[in-house]
Amino acid sequence: MEFQIEVNNKLINVREGETLLSALREHGFKIPTLCHMNRFSPSGACRLCVVEVEGTRDLVTSCSSTVQKGMKVRTNSQRVIRARKALVELLLSNHPDDCLYCQRNGHCELQWLAGEMNVKERKYFARKNAFFPDYSSSSVARDPAKCILCSRCVRICEEVQLVTAIDFISRGNQTRVNSAFNKGLNVSDCIHCGQCIQVCPTAALLDIPHVDKVQAALGKKDRQVMFFISPSVVASVAEKSGMKPRQNVMHRIVAALRRCGAAKVFDLGAANDIHVLQEARMLAERLQSDVASPSPMISSCCPSLVRYVEEFRPQSVSALSLNKSPQQTLATLLKTIYAQHNGIEQEEIFTVAVMPCVAKKYEASLEKNTHKGVSEVDAVLTVREFFQLLRGFGLDLPHMEEEAPDEPYNTPSAAAWKLGYSGGKAEAVAHEVFNMMANPRKDSFKFNLPKNMTGKREIKINIGKKKVGFAWVSSIAEAESYLKQLDDQQRDDIHYVEVMACLGGCAGGGGQPISRGFEDARARKRFCIEMEKNSPFETAGENPIVQSVFKADKLAPDNDLALEWLNNRFKEQKDHGRKE
Amino acid sequence: MEIDTAQIFQKFPNRRREDLIPILQSTQDIHGFLSEEIVNAVADYLEISANKIYGVATFYDNFRFGPVGRYHFRLCHGTACHVAGAATLLKELEKLLNVSDRETDKKGLFSLEVVNCVGACGLAPLIEINDQFYTNITLDKLKDLVGSIRDKENSTL
Repeated sequence: MEFQIEVNNKLINVREGETLLSALREHGFKIPTLCHMNRFSPSGACRLCVVEVEGTRDLVTSCSSTVQKGMKVRTNSQRVIRARKALVELLLSNHPDDCLYCQRNGHCELQWLAGEMNVKERKYFARKNAFFPDYSSSSVARDPAKCILCSRCVRICEEVQLVTAIDFISRGNQTRVNSAFNKGLNVSDCIHCGQCIQVCPTAALLDIPHVDKVQAALGKKDRQVMFFISPSVVASVAEKSGMKPRQNVMHRIVAALRRCGAAKVFDLGAANDIHVLQEARMLAERLQSDVASPSPMISSCCPSLVRYVEEFRPQSVSALSLNKSPQQTLATLLKTIYAQHNGIEQEEIFTVAVMPCVAKKYEASLEKNTHKGVSEVDAVLTVREFFQLLRGFGLDLPHMEEEAPDEPYNTPSAAAWKLGYSGGKAEAVAHEVFNMMANPRKDSFKFNLPKNMTGKREIKINIGKKKVGFAWVSSIAEAESYLKQLDDQQRDDIHYVEVMACLGGCAGGGGQPISRGFEDARARKRFCIEMEKNSPFETAGENPIVQSVFKADKLAPDNDLALEWLNNRFKEQKDHGRKE
Repeated sequence: MEIDTAQIFQKFPNRRREDLIPILQSTQDIHGFLSEEIVNAVADYLEISANKIYGVATFYDNFRFGPVGRYHFRLCHGTACHVAGAATLLKELEKLLNVSDRETDKKGLFSLEVVNCVGACGLAPLIEINDQFYTNITLDKLKDLVGSIRDKENSTL
């Protein structure tokens, strides 16, 4: 039901049950918040969204109150403005003053608000927060001194990822966000998805930095630094530097990295194709075997998902695909086959993956992905760090010339771009399985992804005589409820489940540029789809790189070392306090 | 120290979220404090993240995460006791026991905890040692009390 309320002497239409904040924002009233997240339970922690409602004694937090008939609201009265300014000043009273040295300098919501509220001096003096930063994790760093206790990270960890690796510890002015017994994130339940970094308004949650490591390697004469760029990174880099798909963004990235001193720059999309083909091959084998497999195959290219399954769903470990993720596959191929081919020592190669993901840092650090002290991937840069690196070298992407990536991993197919968003991988794998098993002339392949980026979806396609079910979910909450439903109903009509730990897939990844809401992720998906149309090959199997690296019939490399390295295992772990 | 959590969990067969605090209280009553093992066991039983449980437990002053001494001193510092000189008593007690609030000494003999009003304001100031109350405490009484405990401990050695 719609009715009207009065805001700043103006009537606006609102829907019953809507929160005051969303109604006000919909009508263009600017309301600052530090703790609000769309589609999440309101916490009312920061209180910056206060407005004056006629007839109530105190100011009202608009995020946690619903619209009422006959409401008269003032969003910018003297009282409201004074209150908001005082709130920011109070938040700053114990906040460290080291903005110049802060990773989030210029991208900090608290800093912006202090500017907007015209805070010019320290008004309240309190003892500065002094908590030890936590750099124990391989992916996510925490600096509790910068924390303003908005609870965004706590809520996203609990409500979207079901992990609750962090929560409020203690009470009053001692409150901080931490894990049990104040231990480091490395021994917590953290699945390294990095969504907490995405939502953090300040610099309390950060990437574990790899930029310095990369820069040091670039400066060494005896090191060949080899970059590979994920397609979804290309999408967000384009978005960040205001470029269009037709501007050949990848080629400019290649040029920029060569100016930085990179020996080789590859397109990870080529490895995506290899990955998709391997996945399809494994699935086809499963489908063709006479033994009915009890559970669907779960895609394992998302390290956060793997970590979640290992930690909280040990019963599903055996369902994980044994296929190595594209990042590890390409790094393996570089350090084995490519190195042997070109007569380069393994130790000389320094592999750097540029990913939309912080969990990839964790994946690269896993023991199983290192061999006698040689790690497959030496450093992983998130998109944020990638820009840091370029800024350090004074490079501006839109003004770079265009240079093609290095042979042989240089051209992605349309399938490679599909890995950038939720549902895409299922589609690409389905297409490959179809090409392998069906008679393409008789049957036709149909797989239309819905426009929505989230929500659980499934689709069944006829492959030969068989009806094969493909499903995709993004975020652990969706994955858990979907996998549970499959178990509970003992369904056997779904054969492949693509799970991405971040909402919307890698387009909404934890390593993407900090963005609020879902619009940016949607734009990245649109970019990927645009690039698919321009790809020279439609399916992964058409990409000649696959044939050149692998024996076409076996889809395994003709190299013992590479074979050994590509072996993928998962561990079963004891779970602590998780819903089964 | 091993603790039989199963025995405690038996009393809470429904595994409800709202059982969390009663479970923590009864485990602490038996074990003396909440260890990591206990928090993890409760987390498994109630299917709540251990981090969340630790967050809840640290919110309340009543939960401890380290062992108490053989003699656990609880000094009341409610309003009436404060007026009757609890602050002076606290200073003296810290000196006598060589521990401060929410600490246990290295030998595991004494531990000290300052608590809010225990509801015996007519008898202020008062101290509780291992569930035994000592009322109308003065500095002299306090010295005697600690002295007698020390003597007793030394004689049994």
